[in-house]
Amino acid sequence: MSTRLDWAAAAPGARKAQYGVHLYLESCGLPKALVLLIDLRVSQINGCAFCLDMHANGLREAGESQQRLDCLAGWREAHGLFSVREQAALAWAEALTRVADMRQVPDAIYAAAKAQFSDRELADLTLAICSINSWNRLAVGFGKAPVPDAESERAAAA
Amino acid sequence: MSARLNYAVAAPGAIKAQYGVHLYLEGCGLPMTLQELVFLRVSQINGCAYCLDMHAKALRKDGEGQQRLDAVAGWREAHGLFSARERAALAWAEALTLVAETRQVADAIYDEVKAQFGDRELVDLTLAICSINSWNRLAVGFARGPEPDEQSRKAAAA
Repeated sequence: MSTRLDWAAAAPGARKAQYGVHLYLESCGLPKALVLLIDLRVSQINGCAFCLDMHANGLREAGESQQRLDCLAGWREAHGLFSVREQAALAWAEALTRVADMRQVPDAIYAAAKAQFSDRELADLTLAICSINSWNRLAVGFGKAPVPDAESERAAAA
Repeated sequence: MSARLNYAVAAPGAIKAQYGVHLYLEGCGLPMTLQELVFLRVSQINGCAYCLDMHAKALRKDGEGQQRLDAVAGWREAHGLFSARERAALAWAEALTLVAETRQVADAIYDEVKAQFGDRELVDLTLAICSINSWNRLAVGFARGPEPDEQSRKAAAA
């Protein structure tokens, strides 16, 4: 549900254009689980509850362990939970998401990502990071929140 | 020139997908000058020199006055330089670009922009903000800088 306007209904062409990026990412060959982990971490940084709900559910459906989901926001301290490749992707995603704060991405973060991904994979991963940043802005900007499930509803009403 | 990998060469499909958003924005009817002003302001926040160079040039080419370009980073204090509609769009663009810091977009900013734009225009404007945020991340992430012109080269070498 959206507390502001329903952006997809207001501008279906805009949604279709952004969805084109999503379709590319689905077929580009990057592992879906990695992209979803990135989606979740970027959504945590941007505070996008709608995307957090969607991608946590997506990860669980794909068989991701709850421990990794629980610890994702603190992945730097979660030794042994994330592969070196995942850690490099997460650091790259965090740096790009926070570019407005830092106004650059340090060479060390780039070098670590470059060591784990091929050129094409790294460009695709970067587009995935840009894409979730876009969905986050659309959802937060237009106040799109997750639909509370029965358990959440009861807890919030208590 | 890029100090890191050339993302357009490494993953042409990724750029084509993101370029689809650009093509939509060009044809959506939102005035290009307004979009370019927003592109410039967002690129200032994200510190993307490549995009700053490109969009300042595009604005000048479209006949934009140099005073507005000089003052856009301080538009809140530039009374009489920007229309109410432009100011609403710039405030919305800043809030969405800085979402990782604020994790929400204040109702007052939304109300202001909602009063100035139709529903579809507002979604298109929001997609434009998402789009330039994506291009900024690609350029900053892969260290793509502007080509120094003759005058810049001389000044930097002095």
